[in-house]
Amino acid sequence: MIAEETLVQELKSKESQAKAFEVLVNTYKERLYWHIRRIVLDHDDADDVLQNTFIKVYRNIDGFKGDSKLYSWMYRIATNESLTFLKQKSKKMGIGDQELKEHMVENLQADAYFEGDEIQLKLQKALATLPDKQKLVFTMKYFQEMKYEDISEVLETSVGALKASYHLAAKKIEAYLKAD
Amino acid sequence: MKKNNENKFNTPEGYFESFHDRLMDRIQNEESTTGSSIPKTDGFAVPGNYFEKVVPAILSKTTAEDVKVIPLGGRRNFYYAAASVAAIFLLVFGINWKTENTAFSFDDLASAEIDAYFENHDIGLSSYEIAEAIPLEDIQLNDVLAEDLTNDILWEYLEDNMEDIEDLHLENEEHE
Repeated sequence: MIAEETLVQELKSKESQAKAFEVLVNTYKERLYWHIRRIVLDHDDADDVLQNTFIKVYRNIDGFKGDSKLYSWMYRIATNESLTFLKQKSKKMGIGDQELKEHMVENLQADAYFEGDEIQLKLQKALATLPDKQKLVFTMKYFQEMKYEDISEVLETSVGALKASYHLAAKKIEAYLKAD
Repeated sequence: MKKNNENKFNTPEGYFESFHDRLMDRIQNEESTTGSSIPKTDGFAVPGNYFEKVVPAILSKTTAEDVKVIPLGGRRNFYYAAASVAAIFLLVFGINWKTENTAFSFDDLASAEIDAYFENHDIGLSSYEIAEAIPLEDIQLNDVLAEDLTNDILWEYLEDNMEDIEDLHLENEEHE
């Protein structure tokens, strides 16, 4: 795999930009998709946000200073794009954030691209009860199996706070799943 | 009854030497499977070949110079928002710097420059957010536009860009 530093240099050079961007998209499309999908839940919405994320990366690559890893920077853009998307969606629908989350989970039952069973649907209901950041930390650690250090760079939160947040989220979810 | 003290049982070779490792493996395995009631997968799926198809879709949007992602409204709407944001800047700075001799007006800003600014800078605002940030009560669009924004122009724009006029949720019944 091409070294990140080399890839960034190629992305910033007009001559090599197109080819390097294709490499970037191919390298990160799946990871970013699943990250976005777990926030917006619906496949079509995830597709829109994924495309917007990459376009934003393409247009702002000159502003990438290399203070963090390229991977973390893109995750941060994807996270912001997803949360902004949900805010706009709730505004358009004229409902609150929590109402939108419940609506999204209800829609999963009719979603052709959700193959979860009863317990997985209940898991989504449990996740919808968590604050945004706690949910992000949980899904990034539990499903995406990211290291705390990497999550820390994306969410700009200390590792200690992330660990506490993760365990709190896990306990809440377990309690929700065991109830009834 | 004679007690038979002789051990007639046997064990596989190396059984006791490897016992500890096997025990620890089993404990770890049980902890990972029964230590949590949370399922390991979340049941999401994607359409077949999605990840192959999404690449050309993204690349086509970055190579075509004239394709812009504007979530809501048309390009003209975008210009109005851009002009309004620029007008706010001018009003704010105009108030603070009104004693200076080198006054400049909105006319000094070519639309190409405004366009270039929004092309090259990520302002991080959606059309909704821009609309929310602009206090239209204090600023009239006609103050910042080269041509007067007449009702005819507005209706023409809305007819061209709205699928259903009812989406506007107009409260005033006087519109035609």
